[in-house]
Amino acid sequence: MTAEAGARNEVVEAGLDRQNGVTLGRLMGTGSVGYAEEGSDGVMRATVRIPEDQLIFEPQILVVPHGGEIELTLINDDKNTHCAVLPCNADNKIIWLVNHAKGTARLKLDGPGHYYYGSTTGNDEGRGLNGAIVIGGEVPDEAKLDRPPQPRPQSQAQAQAQS
Amino acid sequence: MTDYVDAGEAVPHRSLSAVNQSAPATRNVDYDRIVDATSEPENWLTYYGTYDGQRYSRLDQISKDNVRRLAPAWVFQSSSQGLQAGASTYSFEATPLVVDGVMYVTGPDGKVWAIDAKTGTELWRYKHATPFDVSLCCGNVNRGVAVGHGKVYMATLNCHVVALDAQTGEPVWDVIVGDVRAGESRTVAPLIVKDMLLVGSSGGEFGTRGHLDALDVETGERRWRCYTIPKPGEPGSETWPDDGEAWQRGGANCWITPTYDPELNLIYQGTGNPAPDFDGGVREGDNLYTDSVVAIDADSGQIRWHYQFTPHDLWDYDSTMENLLFDGPDGQKLLAHADKNGYFFVLDRTNGELQRVFPFVDRITWGEITPDGKVTAKVYPDEEGVPVHFWPGPAGGKEWTHMTYSPRTGLIYVPVQEVGATATRRRREFRESIPYWGAGVAVDLDDHYGFVAAIDPNTGEEKWRWRNEYPMCASTLCTAGGLVFQGTPTGEFVALDEETGEKLWSFQCGSGHHSSPSTYSVDGRQYIAVPTGWGGWVEGFLPGLLGAAAGSAMFVFALPEN
Repeated sequence: MTAEAGARNEVVEAGLDRQNGVTLGRLMGTGSVGYAEEGSDGVMRATVRIPEDQLIFEPQILVVPHGGEIELTLINDDKNTHCAVLPCNADNKIIWLVNHAKGTARLKLDGPGHYYYGSTTGNDEGRGLNGAIVIGGEVPDEAKLDRPPQPRPQSQAQAQAQS
Repeated sequence: MTDYVDAGEAVPHRSLSAVNQSAPATRNVDYDRIVDATSEPENWLTYYGTYDGQRYSRLDQISKDNVRRLAPAWVFQSSSQGLQAGASTYSFEATPLVVDGVMYVTGPDGKVWAIDAKTGTELWRYKHATPFDVSLCCGNVNRGVAVGHGKVYMATLNCHVVALDAQTGEPVWDVIVGDVRAGESRTVAPLIVKDMLLVGSSGGEFGTRGHLDALDVETGERRWRCYTIPKPGEPGSETWPDDGEAWQRGGANCWITPTYDPELNLIYQGTGNPAPDFDGGVREGDNLYTDSVVAIDADSGQIRWHYQFTPHDLWDYDSTMENLLFDGPDGQKLLAHADKNGYFFVLDRTNGELQRVFPFVDRITWGEITPDGKVTAKVYPDEEGVPVHFWPGPAGGKEWTHMTYSPRTGLIYVPVQEVGATATRRRREFRESIPYWGAGVAVDLDDHYGFVAAIDPNTGEEKWRWRNEYPMCASTLCTAGGLVFQGTPTGEFVALDEETGEKLWSFQCGSGHHSSPSTYSVDGRQYIAVPTGWGGWVEGFLPGLLGAAAGSAMFVFALPEN
C-alpha cells in the first residue's frame, strides 16, 4: 500500500469522509481526484458532480495541466439546491444549481497554483461543498529569475526515504 | 429520472449587483500630466500624489479652522466570498487615486474598483483570481494602481501585471512578470514613467532575487529589468561570498513604489532585506544592494549610484519605504529617507552623498550610525539558538507606510513605531518557496508606543511629536489647510495642526489603519479618502493588536455642503 492510499484509508476508517458521521459535515479534501482533458481548441474540460446527500463536489480535486481556459460541466445529482461560486480572472462566476440540474462554467485561471470554489448557500461550504482546481505547470522561462535552478522542497515520502 | 434542469452558464458575480461596469471618460493621463501633477490638486494622479513622494496637497478647503466639522461623505465596503489566500491576513493598504471625479483603488485578493469619487457609487470592478497557495510574506494585500493612457494598471499576488480599460474595467493586456514557484509575488502600486510602467518584486522572505521591471504601457512588454542583487562579476558582487550561492537568493526586493526626478531622469528605488533575514553567516559581506536606495536611469535601467542604509543587515531592516525628494534651502536637490533601522537620512539625490543622518526614534540598540555615516552593529542574532532582543524590531522605527513633506513648514511628518523584538538564529537550508528567515522571531507584545514626529530635515530637529499609546502603522498626509492626517492602529483617523501637533479632530473608523490616505476635490468640494482594515503582517509590526477587529472599508470625509 502506498503512503497516499494508507492516508486515504485512515480518513475512511476515522469516518471523516461522510456526512453526520464523526463530524457534522464532511471534512474538506476527502473526495476523489480527477483530471481535466485538454481539447484540440486548447480548452481544458471536466465534469464535476454533486452526489446525493454527500455535500461534496466529485471530483473534489480537479487537476488541470496548466493555466488557461477551463470549461466545467456542473451536475447536481442531489435532491437539494446548491450553487457554485468559482474563481475566474476578471470576476468570480456563479451558477445556481437547483435539484437535478446541469450547467457549465467557463473560467480563465492562471497557473501554477490552486483555487477553491464552493456552494455559497446556507453552510454548504462548511458541510463539505468545496472543490479545488489545481493548476500545474511552470511560469514561462522569461518570467523566471535569472539564476541557476534552485532546490525545491521534498515531499514527506522523499524526506522519509532519505532519512 | 427526468432530464436535468438546464442551469445555463455561470455568470460573473458582479452581474448580480448594481454595478454596471461603466465609468465616465476622463481626460487622458500621460507622463506630462503626472510630471505636472502639483498643478491639479483636485486629482491624486499617482501613488504619492506627485513623483517626488511628498504626499502633500495644495487643497486648503479643509483647514485648521473648520476641520472640527469634517464628517463622512460616504463609505465604501469591500467584501469577499469563499476561501481566499491568507484569509486571516488581508488588509486594505492601498492609496486611492482620483482622476477627474473617478476614484481607482485596489483591495486585497486581486480586487480593483472604479468608484464615483463624489458619491461612492461603485462604477466597475475587476477581480484577478488569486491562487489559494500563493506565497505571501506579509498578508493578502495590494497598495494600489497606476492610471494613465486610458488604462488602470495593477500588479497581482501571483505575479501578473494587468492593464484594464479605465472606463470598463475590461482587461487590455495581462503579462506574467514573476515566478510564483520561486516564492515571488507582487503587492506594489505600479508607477508610470514616460511610456513605461514600473513594477517591483515582492518575496524577500522566500529567498528571491529582487528587481524592478519597466514594462511598455501599451503592451506590457518588458523594456528592462534592473536586478538589485548583482551577479558574480557585476559591480557590487564583491559584497557577496564569491564561492557561494548566496547572491542567487539574496533578497533586495522592491515592494514599494519608487519616487522619480524627471529633471535628473532618475528613479529612486528602496530595496528590501537580504535573505536569509537574520542569518548573516551564510552571506558574509555588505550584501549590496540590499537595504539601499538605488538611483536608476529611467531609460536604461542601469544603477547610477546607491546608498546602503544597513550594510550586512541582520535585523530585517528593509529600506523599501519611500525616498522623499525635496529641495534644500540653497536649492540643493535632496532626498529624505526614514529607515527601519531608526535613522533618518538626507542624501544629495544627484550623487547619493550623505548630507546628514540622525535617529528619529527613541530606542535603538541594534547598533549605531555616526553623523558621518559609519555603521557599527552591536546586538544581533549570531550564536545558534541564543535569543537576542533589539530595537527597533523587524518592522522598523518606520514601516513601509509613508511620511509626508509640507513645503509650507519645511517639515517632514513621520509615522513612528516604537516596538522591539527577539530573534533566535536557527540556520536552515534554502528551499524554493519556503520561508527563508534563518531565525525564530517574536515581536514584543507590550512596551510599545508610537508618535507622529515633525522633523526638520535640514537640521534633524524634532519640532513636535504627537504621541499615541500604539505605534503608528499608517501613512501621513499633509495639506495646504495646515493639517497633518494620520490613522491609528485602533481605528482613529486624526487631524493634527502642522505647526504644533495639536489634535484638532478625530473619527473612529472601527478598524485599524494600515494604508495611505489621499485627498482630492470634485465640483469644488474637498474630500479626504482613507482605506481602513487592520491586517497584513500584524505579528511583525504590532502583535499586541493581533486580536483587534479587522475590516475593509474606505471612509471618505468632507465638510458639510451647507
